[in-house]
Amino acid sequence: MRRTAVCFGIVLLGVLVFFAWTLVSGPVDVSLRDLALAVFSPDEAEPFHTKILWELRFPRAVAAVLAGIALSVSGLCLQTVFRNPLCGPYVLGISSGASLGVAVALLAGFGFGALGVLGAASVGAILVTQIILVLASRFRNSSVLLVAGLLVGYFVNALVNVLVSGADAESLQVYVSWGLGSFGRLTLGAVPGFAIAVLVGLALVVCSMRYLNAIHMGDDFARGLGVRVGLSRICVLLGSSVLAGAATAYCGPVAFIGIAVPHLAFMLFRTTNHRVLLPGASLCGALLALVAGLSPVSVPLNAVLSIIGVPVILYVLLRGNRNGRGL
Amino acid sequence: MILEASRLQFGYAGVQNAFAAEFDFGLEAGEVVALMGENGCGKSTLLKVFAGLLPPLAGKVEICGKDVYDRKDGWNLLELSRKVSLVRMGVQPPDRMTVREFVGLGRTPYSGILDGRSAEDERIIDDAMALLDVTRFARRPVAELSDGERTRVYLAEAVAQQVDVMLLDEPNAFLDIPRSHALFRTLRELAASRKMGVVVSTHSIEYAEKYADRIMVVNGGLVRVAPAGSARAEGLLDWACIG
Repeated sequence: MRRTAVCFGIVLLGVLVFFAWTLVSGPVDVSLRDLALAVFSPDEAEPFHTKILWELRFPRAVAAVLAGIALSVSGLCLQTVFRNPLCGPYVLGISSGASLGVAVALLAGFGFGALGVLGAASVGAILVTQIILVLASRFRNSSVLLVAGLLVGYFVNALVNVLVSGADAESLQVYVSWGLGSFGRLTLGAVPGFAIAVLVGLALVVCSMRYLNAIHMGDDFARGLGVRVGLSRICVLLGSSVLAGAATAYCGPVAFIGIAVPHLAFMLFRTTNHRVLLPGASLCGALLALVAGLSPVSVPLNAVLSIIGVPVILYVLLRGNRNGRGL
Repeated sequence: MILEASRLQFGYAGVQNAFAAEFDFGLEAGEVVALMGENGCGKSTLLKVFAGLLPPLAGKVEICGKDVYDRKDGWNLLELSRKVSLVRMGVQPPDRMTVREFVGLGRTPYSGILDGRSAEDERIIDDAMALLDVTRFARRPVAELSDGERTRVYLAEAVAQQVDVMLLDEPNAFLDIPRSHALFRTLRELAASRKMGVVVSTHSIEYAEKYADRIMVVNGGLVRVAPAGSARAEGLLDWACIG
């Protein structure tokens, strides 16, 4: 119990520190004092600083936090539902489904940050999740499921490539730069939309807490504990799709967080109880995303995430294994 | 009568392919019934029908006076999970799940939408672990336990569920002789102290005769029940080729 509280405290502190760090770091030097002025008494502050804070840095920090939460919760839920430690929104092709939605929305003329893009990405993610769900009910073997998920991902990505190849040079450029993934593209006006989408996804997942904790042992076992398995599974997968879709719509396809952060949370909090794991993974995801988001704009986000994240995760897994706890 | 089956037929592929002809059966509170029969005779299927996880082909099963499979007029799923528990040894917990977390799952039917555990729940979990003598390894992962320890942990989970009817599917399949004796003694004590009805499927005639009140046999398309003392004399165990 105390260990859990200490872990929560440390990770939360990390999130706060790096959130503040994101606000003060950037090409223009803005001191903490100027930032405080811009927040608490906008009349006295330099208009230039206020503009930088609210239009560039605040949305970027929020994007990192929301995307970190969304992707890690989505990954955790998928790993639990499919009972496979290798699952994640990217591995199962759900992020690709969201990308397809985004591509279609862009070609239809929506701008980035528009609710149309968010909706299209969510629909794309949900569609792929449906396909995965049908496949999962056919194949009890979960490695078949992973192969199928990868194949669906390839197929959908190919569709996206065919779609954007017909686009004009300008939208193609926008799409390609979006495809590298970044937290810097979120505008202040799009923050509420992103936040609401994440809250909806989280609500769907949190309402199925009993399912998430009982499903470890299989459908019949969960049913024997009074859990309405079919309904809850739909809720959780819908929530996971909305979360992955929202993160992809606003930040591009981000691969690493969804699969890795749940393991980090397992190792830190040493529990299978989702009452602890969901908030734990959320905080870890937000922290990792904030750290990665501090890298220079020119470096692709996915590259940074993997370079920081893979050594951390490998270290954690190896250390965990020494105590006899592997994947 | 705590569990009552009337004109029951069970199986998967229609009444004409049922495992046995229709039968009636009543389980009293505090009673232990051993369910026996050859491999593939339908013991596990019958337990699933008793637990409300599988629809009967014909007839009905009632626990405490309400149907176990009819969700409209009988128990709803949540109420049912406070009445009956089916304990199966085959299910594998994830590597990281500790004994205490696993026993705590037994309180799921009583937890709210956020799956919290009250102080009362924690006390019941502690009691269940103490009763089955698993408190010593509360913090160890279930997956690392020996078969005997794991069987007790699974029982503790069902005890924490505070059900009226406990159904067990071959709990002594992986146990050695002393641990099997201990298991059946525990089942008897549980049935008596908690006023539970227990149906336990097993292949061991020795334990069934020694510890069960009655023996139920699925064989040759019939389900027959007799007191444990007279089952052999009444020919219920002939299929096992004794002597």
